[in-house]
Amino acid sequence: MPYLNISDMSRVNYNRRKFLRIGAAGAAGAIVLKGSAAAVSDMQDNNIATRILGRTNIKIPVISFGVMRADSPALCRAAWENGIRLFDTANVYQNGNNESMLGNLFKDLPRDSFMIETKVKPSGVGQNGLPTSQTTTDDFLTKFKTSLSRLKLDYVDFLLVHDVSTPEMLNHKPLIAALSRLKKEKKTRFVGFSTHNNMAGVIRAASESGFWDVILTSYNFRLPNISEMNEAVEKAASAGIGIIAMKTLAGGAFLDKEKTKPVNTTAAIKWALSNPNIHTTIPGMTTFDHLTANLAILKDPVLNENEKKDLITMAAEPGMYCIGCNQCLETCRLRLPVPDLMRAYMYAYGYSNGRMAYDLLGSLGTGAAPCVNCNSCTVKCTNNFNVKEKISDVSRLVNMPSEFIA
Amino acid sequence: MRKLILFYVFFLAVMPSAFAQPYSFPELRGYKTESRYPVYTAESLWDFIDGAADGYVAFGFENVHVREYRKGKKVIKAEIYRHKDKNNAFGIYASERSPSFRYLNLGSQGYTTEDGSLNFFKDRYYVKLRTYSEDQKIINDLEKLAVRIADMLPGDPSMPSLLSEFPEIGKVRYSEMFINKDVLGHGFLEGAFSARYELEGASFVIYLFEKSGTEKATECVSAYLQKTGMEPDESQEGKYMLRDGYNGTIFLSWKGNRIVIIEGLAKDQSALAERYASEILR
Repeated sequence: MPYLNISDMSRVNYNRRKFLRIGAAGAAGAIVLKGSAAAVSDMQDNNIATRILGRTNIKIPVISFGVMRADSPALCRAAWENGIRLFDTANVYQNGNNESMLGNLFKDLPRDSFMIETKVKPSGVGQNGLPTSQTTTDDFLTKFKTSLSRLKLDYVDFLLVHDVSTPEMLNHKPLIAALSRLKKEKKTRFVGFSTHNNMAGVIRAASESGFWDVILTSYNFRLPNISEMNEAVEKAASAGIGIIAMKTLAGGAFLDKEKTKPVNTTAAIKWALSNPNIHTTIPGMTTFDHLTANLAILKDPVLNENEKKDLITMAAEPGMYCIGCNQCLETCRLRLPVPDLMRAYMYAYGYSNGRMAYDLLGSLGTGAAPCVNCNSCTVKCTNNFNVKEKISDVSRLVNMPSEFIA
Repeated sequence: MRKLILFYVFFLAVMPSAFAQPYSFPELRGYKTESRYPVYTAESLWDFIDGAADGYVAFGFENVHVREYRKGKKVIKAEIYRHKDKNNAFGIYASERSPSFRYLNLGSQGYTTEDGSLNFFKDRYYVKLRTYSEDQKIINDLEKLAVRIADMLPGDPSMPSLLSEFPEIGKVRYSEMFINKDVLGHGFLEGAFSARYELEGASFVIYLFEKSGTEKATECVSAYLQKTGMEPDESQEGKYMLRDGYNGTIFLSWKGNRIVIIEGLAKDQSALAERYASEILR
């Protein structure tokens, strides 16, 4: 039996005129910006919202592409055809296959029509975020060489140190030497780092160094220390650093573990862009529907009233883990170490590590039922946790025989 | 006492992953083991592998146990990722492999890389071992450890059964994948095995879906037909050549609960598509 196609009507009672009409507009999506790629410097003419990426002086669309989970070259190509210019990947994503996919896609396209940002994670960085003797220039250079080879490029536009959480990393001389050398050799146009822990601290430190061109940072409407972050971001932007936001959806497309409360992703991204010091964002996209929604933001990045209402609703939802703000300490009438107890809860239920929770509870000495003599809970949690319930749940661990705990 | 025992049983049932020790890592003579890491779950994996975490979570990641084996300054790091099932473990494993690696008959399948990594999967487990040492003795020890972990892990070491349905002729070795969601960038296409083919000057990819029933397969086909501007088809089998605005010409065939999609062939290569689809759906 041959394949049916648009000229074969016998099988589906199908009207060719109808196909052509629907097909032109609705063929696998409704992106309407499709056209040839413009040079980066010409993008303001395409009615696409752009911002200047700090001292790089690049006019960049406010939506870029976090390629991490996208394994469809067609999706990346569609993004490029519709005006997205910056594609973010990393040496470790899919063990390098993510970089290879981009390399194969872009090898035949004009080099000034796209920008590649890749991230290299230095070896030997401890869990405390500090460099060690294994964090060397040669190691970093070797990893980057591999990245460049996979990307099939002579240079990348942005080379980032992956996952920086301490100022010590920013000042680590072997890394500075590697980045300086690559910039001098024109293997990268600009250098920067990504951060998703202690962001405000490292962003402030970077602002004072004068070395870093761009920062890729977690930034979303649920950040507990948003005032501190905004100050740090403003300081960095004032110092000429380009700011790229990631994790704008606050950890995922849903607000709860049960996946019953979806995030209004457009509102979340627009919220990040409501800060003029955020120059672009890199939402992850895996479908053409995601792309279509994000391209709409390129046309209209300003929050509307409905999106503002959704943000208020979403922000009121409790998060999954204690953010350690310590605001609760003064509100517990029994003066319990609530943040520590919430941390024990996180170890037990979040990290599934009963031993860590058990040991922490033992060191706190709060017993198996800390709230038993308190009838009404006065604790005010900035995350809206039901603190009494969580304390009750986790504290029962104390009564368990040690040998039961892994 | 009875009440206390019942309480423990209840607690263990509620939080099994917190208290059960699913595997005790094997010993390696001459090495001290360290467990400085908690057991990471989907909610905390970002703390361990940052941006790469989303990719793992998309493949039904459940938790990862980490151990470090130390001999002086030499370190071997072992990570055991548990996923929802074998298909998903294969999916994350395959997304990180490359045909250029040296492949091993280990677990279900494994490979080593030039930079001191050895990765393999077995059933629902994806295991990654790594050393920065270039000392051949340490690398040999790493391989020994890999074998012991493979022996330790429970489950069936065979490859996912649907992979055997792909015709061998023209198939690029080690190109098979499992894509859990958003196949070809479409949210309605879920759960496909794929393999790349190079034959007669053509390069194309075959996607094979096995749905839980005929109805589900029909729903999926109908969704694609509608998305490409055609009318849904409620038949139990059929063939279409679609024009997908982003992925180009698509050959779509289905029979019962199985769907075959072929991407990468031109319109005038329908005979080639027909040959492969028929063999898979025979």
